[in-house]
Amino acid sequence: MSATLAAHHRPPRLLALGAIVVAGFILVAIVGAFVTPYDPTHFAVRLRFDPPSFAHPFGTDEFGRDVFSRALAGARYSLAMGFGATAISLVLGVPLGLLAAFHRGAVDAAIMRGVDLLISLPPILLGLLILAVTPPSLWKTILAVGIIYVPILTRLTRAVALGLLEEDFVQAARARGEGAVSILSREILPNAWPPIIVESGLRVTFAILLGSSLSFLGLGPQPPSSEWGLMIAESRGFIDEAPWIGLAPGLCLCALLIAVNLFGEGLREALDPRLRGRDG
Amino acid sequence: MADPAQPLLRVDSLTVDYATGRGAVRALDDVSLAIPRGQALGLVGESGSGKSTVVLALLGLLGAARVTATALDFDGHDLLRDPASVRGRRIGVVFQDPASVLNPSLPVGLQIAEPLLVHRRLRHADAFARATALLAETGIADAARVMRAYPHQLSGGMKQRAVIATALAAEPDLLLLDEPTTALDVTVEAQILDLLESIRARRGLTMLLVSHNLGVVDRICDRTTVLYAGRTVEAAPTPALLHAPRHPYTKGLLGALPVPGSRARLVPMAGNLPDLTQRDPGCTFRPRCPLAEEACALPQALTATAGHLVRCHRADETHDLRWPVPEASDDAAPPPPPRHGPPPPRHGPRRRTIHAFLSRANERPGSSASAEDDEGSTPTDTPLIAATNLRRTFRSGGPLARVLGREHVVHAVDDVSIAIARGEILGLVGESGSGKSTLGRLLLRLLGADAGGVRFDGIDVPAVPPRAFRRRAQIVFQNPDTTLNPRQTVEAILRRPLHHFAITPDPEREIDRLLDLVRLPRGYRGRYPHQLSGGEKQRVSIARALASAPDFVVADEAVSALDVSVQAAVLNLFADLRARLGVAYLFISHDIGVIAHIADRIAVMYRGALVEQGATPDVLHPPYHPYTEALLSAVPIVGARDRHASRVRLTGDATTTPGPGCRFAPRCPRRLGPLCDTVPPPWQRPAEGHAIACHIPLAELASARPVLAS
Repeated sequence: MSATLAAHHRPPRLLALGAIVVAGFILVAIVGAFVTPYDPTHFAVRLRFDPPSFAHPFGTDEFGRDVFSRALAGARYSLAMGFGATAISLVLGVPLGLLAAFHRGAVDAAIMRGVDLLISLPPILLGLLILAVTPPSLWKTILAVGIIYVPILTRLTRAVALGLLEEDFVQAARARGEGAVSILSREILPNAWPPIIVESGLRVTFAILLGSSLSFLGLGPQPPSSEWGLMIAESRGFIDEAPWIGLAPGLCLCALLIAVNLFGEGLREALDPRLRGRDG
Repeated sequence: MADPAQPLLRVDSLTVDYATGRGAVRALDDVSLAIPRGQALGLVGESGSGKSTVVLALLGLLGAARVTATALDFDGHDLLRDPASVRGRRIGVVFQDPASVLNPSLPVGLQIAEPLLVHRRLRHADAFARATALLAETGIADAARVMRAYPHQLSGGMKQRAVIATALAAEPDLLLLDEPTTALDVTVEAQILDLLESIRARRGLTMLLVSHNLGVVDRICDRTTVLYAGRTVEAAPTPALLHAPRHPYTKGLLGALPVPGSRARLVPMAGNLPDLTQRDPGCTFRPRCPLAEEACALPQALTATAGHLVRCHRADETHDLRWPVPEASDDAAPPPPPRHGPPPPRHGPRRRTIHAFLSRANERPGSSASAEDDEGSTPTDTPLIAATNLRRTFRSGGPLARVLGREHVVHAVDDVSIAIARGEILGLVGESGSGKSTLGRLLLRLLGADAGGVRFDGIDVPAVPPRAFRRRAQIVFQNPDTTLNPRQTVEAILRRPLHHFAITPDPEREIDRLLDLVRLPRGYRGRYPHQLSGGEKQRVSIARALASAPDFVVADEAVSALDVSVQAAVLNLFADLRARLGVAYLFISHDIGVIAHIADRIAVMYRGALVEQGATPDVLHPPYHPYTEALLSAVPIVGARDRHASRVRLTGDATTTPGPGCRFAPRCPRRLGPLCDTVPPPWQRPAEGHAIACHIPLAELASARPVLAS
């Protein structure tokens, strides 16, 4: 009891730290194109494979482009993939989960078996399936990653909603003869949000990682864009002579993932004390 | 060490402080107790009074709390310094919920044997033999089989017996019982209380029994201490405490208790427990006390007269005053319960007493009762709601289990017909699992019936009922913590049905009216459920059900989760709303005391079927069904110690599988023979509207000794 109280009153440092770093990346993503020291797509053939220096903190790549500038400009791709894909899984997954929980029976079976089918395929493979058929682009990657994570949100939403549907206030709404839309939007959704938000926070991390992985495989934004996964893929050939080319996007990816994860964990602590108790 | 003159347990000035986010809370303030060897002490009080904290403090299980005491002495052993060496060995504990005390993944036998293996270092085989003997001692017939069972395979009563066996395993001298029967059905509770009595007599055990139920304490305890907000307010020999209470709080607890057989208006206590973060040196009960005066703000001493301790400086002058009953004329002699139709509206202004809080509790907003349903006042008229041959079966296991014949089928409601007149309160009573709630939901068409029909106001109600039916038939739930949407304000909760049913063009005024109706301040509109107490939440829930001006309300255990003082207020509210609005209720409760208090007619349900039905006075007195007799006999009634002679006890519990005959036969203390097992019992009708499903001749049933004094 006292331990719970103490935890509750501890300032949510994880949340604050994560939020600051994520906000920094978002800022960079928005204004990045204007403040980069160099044009991220500017070739300077004479400066190829320049090691890190004051002029080029992370060196230059095989075309003499400033790696630091390119990494900064790449932030928006990763953020767009992380948040965009999560938004798509929310928009698709939450209503499906609510419908499955509310209707049970055949509707439930149809939705959940579809979801099982999606989840049974490895994410990368599913991404390949979706993306390999047509020419890749950033938006298609976002859509693919979003669809890949729909099952997780559907299952979570369904589980939370199933519990809530047993609650007496939902029974009271049924006793008033309220319809599905009204019960789901007024009674279920407002109470289902905390775990869904927490899960989405953590989902962003996975979406960024999966998006970068797909880009690494060439299924994301195409050169000359500076998506981090793509940059790492391009730097592979020069890992012996110019390891710094891959270092900058790798570090950025790391920092962003950790920050988003901290933010997600912080949200979990702040919003859902019950979850914390269950985890022990 | 074993000086018999010394009390076995002595607690002097026990004080417990918790640190919380809102500041320090003094959970116990200078509490002193002493239990002589072989005696039983009862500790009573409402939730939040600190009863359980005493038990945890004795066991040294309070964790971060600051515990101080001048003495915490158990047979010469200092519990303050070293509780661990006697805990579980010389002090045994039984907690409230046996389901959460037993480890679900270990067989029961191992859990009983564990203290023997750990504390007494017995060999494995010896420990198990001893554990089997202990289980047998707690009244389990096939102890050897139960030893191998896992907790989920046992019923609640069996589990609690196993927990008691565990507590007894290390041969303790002192048994701490924290609400040991609260989670159990009354019939099982009665068995466990019998068991505790016999164990105590046989082993010379000393007991500390914590309970909110004064009847339970009355059954078991020699002395009783009443706690209020962490302080002892009264302590006395149990009969003296219950028959001549001296502290206003004790008087209030007793006044709020519904007594089977008496329909006198209950006297609730206003207000809530004080905020324990605010230290108050004076009497902490004074904001709720009708006898409070200025001097009550001064510290009150615990004074003793002939072994009767009381913490109230006015105890002597108020000695003869019973808990003030507001209206001698109206309430002491309530109108006889109407057999049919709504009761006559109670007219006449209610006399205001000097006790402000009592008049508040009894205030009726307007005395003009609606008489809009005059047509229902004769018994031959169509009932408001009538169900015929309702059936509902629950199946567990999927299609595969069905094919393999492994399916588990429960006949929750099996061929039940029931009718409720306008403005009538039908009480539905039975043990848990008897199908009471299922029946209530079937009537409201919240659950689909497998067979049978429901007629409302003479018209068939289809499986998907029209909006008009939904408006006129509403429900109030048991658990105040889940009945309201935690994300909506009181205002939003009440506005929704008004809007949904298009009740009024002026919802603002209607919300105010509803809040007035359930006697909540209008300022509560903006509050969220977590800002309300249990009783207040239940009032909002009632207001929500009444918002659509229904004619029929199912009250599903609507007062079961509330403290006695709050329960009294909510019961009064239900009765008043019936009187004012002519609402008919199906009042579902496992507590026959509550049912007897409020209902005009009673229906008794056992394993999915009705066994008896009739007007309240008829059902409460012989002739009655043996099950009704057992239910009545099982209720621990305050001041009914001398009732022991007529105690009827059921063996087993409601999970005992019945045969094709009477479903109660396997547990029936009056079973006639094979007839009961094989032939369904006929309905016998001793009086108009009174029906008993039993093979025993009426004359014999009528000769049963009455459980309640008439």
